[in-house]
Amino acid sequence: MFGGVEAFFDTSAYLPHGVCLFWRPEILTLHIVSDVLTGLSYYSIPVALLYFVLKRRDVAFTWVIWLFAAFILACGTTHFFSLWTLWYPDYAVEGIVKALTALVSVLTAVALWVQMPKALALPSATQLADANGALRREVEIRRQAELRYASFFNNLAEGLFVVTVLPDGAFAFDTLNPAHARATGIDPDTIRGRLVREAVPPDTAELVIERYSACVAAGGPIDYEETLDLPIGRRTWHTVLVPVRGEDGQVVQILGSSRDITDRKRLQEELVQTSKLATLGTLAAGMAHEMSQPLNIIRIWAENALSRLRDGDTDTARLDKVLTIMSEQAERMGRIIDHMRTFSRRDGATQRFDPAASVRSAVELVSNQFALENIEVVSDIPAIDCVTRGRPLQLEQVLVNLLSNARDAILEWRADPNGSPAAGRIAVGMRCDLTAGRAVITITDDGGGIDPDILPSIFDPFFTTKEVGKGSGLGLSIGYGIVDSMGGRIDAENVDHGNGSRGVRFTITVPVFHPSAQNVERAHA
Amino acid sequence: MPDPVPAPLHVLVAEDEALAAMALEDFLSRKGFRVTLAQDGQEGLERYSADPADLVITDLRMPRMDGRALIRELRIRAAGLPILVMTGFLSMEAGEDDLTSERWQPLVVLRKPVSPQVILDTLTSLARAAKLRPV
Repeated sequence: MFGGVEAFFDTSAYLPHGVCLFWRPEILTLHIVSDVLTGLSYYSIPVALLYFVLKRRDVAFTWVIWLFAAFILACGTTHFFSLWTLWYPDYAVEGIVKALTALVSVLTAVALWVQMPKALALPSATQLADANGALRREVEIRRQAELRYASFFNNLAEGLFVVTVLPDGAFAFDTLNPAHARATGIDPDTIRGRLVREAVPPDTAELVIERYSACVAAGGPIDYEETLDLPIGRRTWHTVLVPVRGEDGQVVQILGSSRDITDRKRLQEELVQTSKLATLGTLAAGMAHEMSQPLNIIRIWAENALSRLRDGDTDTARLDKVLTIMSEQAERMGRIIDHMRTFSRRDGATQRFDPAASVRSAVELVSNQFALENIEVVSDIPAIDCVTRGRPLQLEQVLVNLLSNARDAILEWRADPNGSPAAGRIAVGMRCDLTAGRAVITITDDGGGIDPDILPSIFDPFFTTKEVGKGSGLGLSIGYGIVDSMGGRIDAENVDHGNGSRGVRFTITVPVFHPSAQNVERAHA
Repeated sequence: MPDPVPAPLHVLVAEDEALAAMALEDFLSRKGFRVTLAQDGQEGLERYSADPADLVITDLRMPRMDGRALIRELRIRAAGLPILVMTGFLSMEAGEDDLTSERWQPLVVLRKPVSPQVILDTLTSLARAAKLRPV
């Protein structure tokens, strides 16, 4: 049946197609014109398609278009071959061209059906237009919101700033608002985009980077007070830092807000200092009595020795003894003066300290004064290692203030017709519970107690039950503020001692930690 | 026949500051007094009861029995006993316990720090006023 390749392509046995048309010019012309026009058109379509694909690189299903172009090209070629076979009977070649065309056609047809669901899923132009409209509206809403927030950012009285957290964990300044620029004296343009450790002096950088790191580590807002040296001078701030997370959950930005509380702090310190000096005033009589004792000893020994000298007694061993006693007594006076001086001093930065030391010191400071008034201060302060954080002198001040209140209450209660002349005992106790992380200091008097109606108001500023000129009403509220700043609390309750004796118990609770835990805590910070 | 040598005046010193008491004892002994020391009011009262003194020097603030209580007790036993008070108090006016009032006389208050010479002078004039034999 098949006579080899040569036989397959052999055309000698065939007649050209024109013969079938009897070479009739009108029929030939009709075929020629139709095939030429169809062929040319078919050839132009893939060119147009290719041009489109090349120009619009974003078009989906590019390969289908390429296939379609090949299909049309093949169809065009079959038309030109129809023309060729009018004169040359190369039906074998024409058959091959048709077969190729059939192959491409089938592939294209299959591909079209396979791709149909995907093609249908493509949004239509109308859908796209709708989506675009919605997007435009959304963009407008966002733009308005951004304008609003930008207006907030630029006009708020509160200082705001943005810090970028770089992938390597370093911090860079992004921006700060005009209020913060004014308050700090920092020009936003000079720090924008710069690393924190390069944009500000090393001391300041160390302080703020520690806080930024703490915010990242906490993964949530943190809130603290800090004192910084800035171009505008040394100022104290109340700062809140809020971390912002990126898509991967990592903190990529920190939003900060800062309020300058320098003046408020200064006023607070002034108030604390005033109240401290007032407390010292009420203790003056006790101090004078306490100092007169060593001074008395010095004077008697000195004049007695002088008198002996003038009588011709030059016993050097005796003189040595006298001078040693005098020196020791001078030292004893020095300690009393030191205690007053320390107490009246302005307290510095917060530090770790043993609250028991403040309790002992406060008791020591008042007991002489109180003894003069027949008031006994009984203290039970265990010697344990217990550490809290704050200002030791301020805690001592709170305690001295509470002790003074107790003494005032006792003196009034003695004079009160309904009171008790036997009143006169103040008990000071302390417990340090390291497991619970708190120390509890109690001061209990037998001065009759506080009217339950006013008990809730006693920590209010300017609240006082004392007669005009006797109390500022600031003692307890300042005490409350001091204990609160240590993270502790102060409470008052009436207590019944039995046998008709009653009074008030003030309880101060402050957070404590074991001294050996210090290093661990520092490592965490 | 010459007069017998007069016995020295007996002073009771109630003072809880041992060093102050010791120095006073030394000074007053040298000035011809017989001195008895007591560490507080209670001991002072006991010593006075056992061996009554001619003059008393007392502090006010002392443990167990304070100076005011001691003075009250002494006044019950000896109305005219001359008393010298040494104190570090700023003020002596404390209601009915006002030591400057007439009812506590004869009594002199000296503020600490006290000069021993002033103590001697005061004791001497108190003794003279009480018509005690001369020092």
